[in-house]
Amino acid sequence: MTKRKMFLRMITASLVRRRSRMLVALLAIAVGATILSGLVTIYYDVPRQMGAQFRNYGANMIFLAASNEARFDLDTVRRGVACIDAEELVGVAPYRYETVRIHEQPILAAGTDLDGAKATSPYWHIDGEWPSARYEVLVGQETAEFLGLKTGDVFNATWSSGEEEEDVLNLGVDMKVAGILETGGSEEEYLYMSLSDMEELAGETEKLDVVELSVSASADELKAYEQDIEANVPDIAPRLVKRVTESESTVLTKLQSLVFLVTAVVLVLTMICVATTMTAVVTERRKEIGLRKSLGASDGSIIWEFMGEGLLLGGVGGILGSILGFAFAQFVSVHVFSSSITYQPALLPVTILVSVLVTGLACLLPVRSATEVDPALVLKGE
Amino acid sequence: MSLLELNNISKIYGDLKALDNVSLSVDTGEWVAIMGPSGSGKSTMMNIIGCMDKPTSGAVLLDGKDISKESAKSLTAIRRDKIGLIFQQFHLVNYLTAVENVMVAQYYHSMPDEKEALEALERVGLADRAKHLPSQLSGGEQQRVCIARALINYPEIVLADEPTGNLDEANENIVLDIFKQLHKDGTTLVVVTHDPEVGEVAQRTITLEHGRIVKDALNANFKEA
Repeated sequence: MTKRKMFLRMITASLVRRRSRMLVALLAIAVGATILSGLVTIYYDVPRQMGAQFRNYGANMIFLAASNEARFDLDTVRRGVACIDAEELVGVAPYRYETVRIHEQPILAAGTDLDGAKATSPYWHIDGEWPSARYEVLVGQETAEFLGLKTGDVFNATWSSGEEEEDVLNLGVDMKVAGILETGGSEEEYLYMSLSDMEELAGETEKLDVVELSVSASADELKAYEQDIEANVPDIAPRLVKRVTESESTVLTKLQSLVFLVTAVVLVLTMICVATTMTAVVTERRKEIGLRKSLGASDGSIIWEFMGEGLLLGGVGGILGSILGFAFAQFVSVHVFSSSITYQPALLPVTILVSVLVTGLACLLPVRSATEVDPALVLKGE
Repeated sequence: MSLLELNNISKIYGDLKALDNVSLSVDTGEWVAIMGPSGSGKSTMMNIIGCMDKPTSGAVLLDGKDISKESAKSLTAIRRDKIGLIFQQFHLVNYLTAVENVMVAQYYHSMPDEKEALEALERVGLADRAKHLPSQLSGGEQQRVCIARALINYPEIVLADEPTGNLDEANENIVLDIFKQLHKDGTTLVVVTHDPEVGEVAQRTITLEHGRIVKDALNANFKEA
């Protein structure tokens, strides 16, 4: 048998046959590693999770025409959208605004890609249904009250290109209220319909007024997209919705700082707990240390044997912590963000390594004191 | 030929002279019992001979080399290479089996060899208890494991501190029979005891009182095994 095998046999026997004693230390390391692994998993997944949450608050980027002469149509918008990673693109809603006369009142109408609007504005609350058939519209709550409309009503609308009688394009078109839009914002003043209906009724035109985009990306990534689009599609003036992107960035930074702080505190507490346990272990085993010294063990041997036990504990605790940490992160993610978390395989070796290092550091002082044991005194029971 | 020589050694703790100008020599293969009442200096002498303590003055020659001025590190090496220790309280590692306890001494000395450790246990009649933990062994069995451990590295001198102090008569006889066999095989034995029966079976008895040797005599009744 080699010395290494005997070394492993001794430290394994110490941990396995004295498991009730070492359980406290193992528990402390495993709990520390669980929280470390769990929080780091959350730390890395929070931007994705929070990004998804923030997407509920509407578009975080808009496209405007770079100038009055710029070509700002669906084809140009597609070229701008192509600059954004498709996986990060949550929705694109192009808007064209026209005035329509209903009950002789001028009302602002917005033509859009309704599926895109649904994706970019998930916070919209519809009393009724989204328009699904030709000439079906969503009416903003305020406008609906003003015109006395409710879901299912059919109303008469007149579309014209100007103020004069000869400007009338479509007189007395019957349109159906599919739903009433409630947002608590300025959207309630509008009437929403499909872009194709608007083009049919208000006249074919290539020109869009604004495009809203919802992109699941960090503030820095959005900034990079903005610059990329400006450089590659000169007809588009991309703008970030700072109200959303800056809030997102601030919340993320604070949340990540909190997670970092909690992780650091947990590591320190783990270290204290392991150090206390190892000090108790060393005190309890003074006779054994004295015996080993009387048999000719050098200080180095004693240090390595106790460190070996500590590091093995750290390794086992790290493995346990990695597994439990993922379960912990999954639990938090499901209950806080309502979505599952992505497993980070790289976290397994990192957690084990950190556990071993923390345990090693915690063992240093107690183990050092083990070498100060005087064999003659302890073997005599003094 | 002298294996061990103590030349005018004294050990002083504050105002207390635990050993006072003691000289003695032990030949290779000799079986010496060091006797005396509590506080006579037996344990201090045992610690000095066992390289676990240093004298305040005087010289300790082991195998012709003065070890009284050696560093703690060198004393550890001497203990590991030349001395086998047997304790009254056995001092086995409680989470290691009997054979593993013997192998621990091999581990620090050279290379662990389970077969050789099992043979050592067989010599003390414990082949069938090799895989048992100390808590599963009787006091006598634990002492025999301790003896097997002390002998595994073929030490030049075996020091036993009250080796039968915690044993019943039957186990005391077993241990003394092992000592007789060791002596017959040429092992140098120094046994510290206050038990006259253990002292009587040794080849030579040294009696200490107040840190001084008051009697050093060969046992007339000594019988070779």
